[in-house]
Amino acid sequence: MIALKGVSKRFGDRVAVHPLDLEIPRGCIFGLLGHNGAGKSTTIGMLLGQVYPDEGRVLINGRDVFAERQRALARVGAIFEAPAFYDYLNGETNLRILCEYSAPVNSRRLAEVVALVGLRSRIRDRVGVYSHGMRQRLALAQALLPDPELLILDEPGDGLDPEGIHEMRNLILKLNREWGLTILLSSHLLAEVQQLCSRLVVMREGRVLFSGEWRQLEDERRWIRVKADRQSEAETGLRGDGLIAEFETDGRGRLAPGITLDGVARWLVKRDFKVEAVAPVERTLEDFYLKTVRTNPEGRVHD
Amino acid sequence: MFFTQLNNELLKLFARKRTHIGFGAFVAAEFIILLLLQLQRSKKTFTDLLTRNGYGFDYYSGITLAVLMILFTIFLLGGLYLALVSGDMVAKEVEDGTMRMVLARPISRIRLLGIKWLACMIYTFALILFIGGTSLLAGVLYRGGLGKLFIFAPHEQLFAIFDSPAEGVWRFARAIFVLSLCIQVVSTLGLMFSCFNMKPATATILTLSVMFVDFVLRNMPYFEGIQRWFITYHTACWVRTFHPIVPWWGILESLFCLFGLNVTFFVIGAMSFCARDFKA
Repeated sequence: MIALKGVSKRFGDRVAVHPLDLEIPRGCIFGLLGHNGAGKSTTIGMLLGQVYPDEGRVLINGRDVFAERQRALARVGAIFEAPAFYDYLNGETNLRILCEYSAPVNSRRLAEVVALVGLRSRIRDRVGVYSHGMRQRLALAQALLPDPELLILDEPGDGLDPEGIHEMRNLILKLNREWGLTILLSSHLLAEVQQLCSRLVVMREGRVLFSGEWRQLEDERRWIRVKADRQSEAETGLRGDGLIAEFETDGRGRLAPGITLDGVARWLVKRDFKVEAVAPVERTLEDFYLKTVRTNPEGRVHD
Repeated sequence: MFFTQLNNELLKLFARKRTHIGFGAFVAAEFIILLLLQLQRSKKTFTDLLTRNGYGFDYYSGITLAVLMILFTIFLLGGLYLALVSGDMVAKEVEDGTMRMVLARPISRIRLLGIKWLACMIYTFALILFIGGTSLLAGVLYRGGLGKLFIFAPHEQLFAIFDSPAEGVWRFARAIFVLSLCIQVVSTLGLMFSCFNMKPATATILTLSVMFVDFVLRNMPYFEGIQRWFITYHTACWVRTFHPIVPWWGILESLFCLFGLNVTFFVIGAMSFCARDFKA
């Protein structure tokens, strides 16, 4: 669906995005993670033809975004962090103005989309009086109105209350599962991304640190938690004997290839440690993200 | 789709409070000028000028007042207000973030800018017609009729009188039409600066600065020989339609020059707009 081929961007002396190769398959919810200034927004800007890459090609559905802008973006919807509207106009007029840049607006479709995002009762109100959550919903409506195949969401949950975040998450899932939309989601809310995306890209300082199925990678890695008396001695021994590949804080360690949980427990008992816990640990995306950005100053981890 | 998009652009422009405040400001300015023209000193200057040339005070008519009001309002507010609006056209949308929303759509940048330019032209045309209409209405209401037209513009070496109200109105309408064509250059200049990576206020100030410097230089005796190289020489060509024998070739020449400048400013603006990165 999306292919970035050797795309890079520099602003003055600063490299915003190092040569980036990325493919996003049709039908998935793909996460784009990274700290502020990691290059996420620049990447999204290049996807939408708003930022010109210094080199490389950006393709959507096989069409070059810069050479065939109209065709490439014909069925793409996007929303940005802090969506901007013509505040002096009402919601419906804003939707019509923005959407008629690409195609005529069908009134039935407009009503359907407005109802979907839950703005039916306020759509005739001036956007200037909308709350942040309502603006986000309106942004989503304008992105959905041209019947997109691809939805690019840049911080869609930013500034929303917990209920709003929950609704937004359910809506994104519905759009992906029921409407079949491919979704590229850039967010700082890692818990949200974890619930939505299995595939993702982690960026830092314009470089891709990780790209692929993070959950699968974590499952392959098999993290456990070890708690025993003489904790540091146990950790050193387990690592020294090659049972645990690495330890993090709080006794959490990654099993070495071919080693089982039982093997670790037996090793501890055999050496007279008083074992309080040896149990598998469910890794969160936050764990994965922090580990990725902290241990990989440069370069790609997995593809 | 083109007309829908143009209609939407005009809707955006005319739905803004600033637009209506601007129209109101012109009406207010016209009334202030009308009041100033009623001062004894103004009247005396006017009467002296007429009597010195063998005419009576009856030339101080509704249509004469309308022309005077236009001369002053265009000089005082016309450039300022058009620079304000055109300077906002792109830069304000970029500043507000709506430009990113628009450019997420599959519309080419050149088409988008073309639509904005056209909307700007229509707006300018509408504004000048409005100023012309309200000036004439104010003059007629104040003096109780059209009357005879008298116009004096020393810079254009123009001293003309038209006894027939019908001819006066025809001359007035024609001048307003030509003025609406001439003044487009201010809007296009504002739009051009608006396309650069700058704040809307900067675009407005730069537009006004260019016009002001051009006007000052043009009026310096040193540059008298090269008057035709100045924008304001050509924008003033609407006043020449009041000459008893209208110098049409000269006016057309000025209009062509202004058209060339419009195209040049648009192309420069478009080059900047199409090459720019739009990022939050």
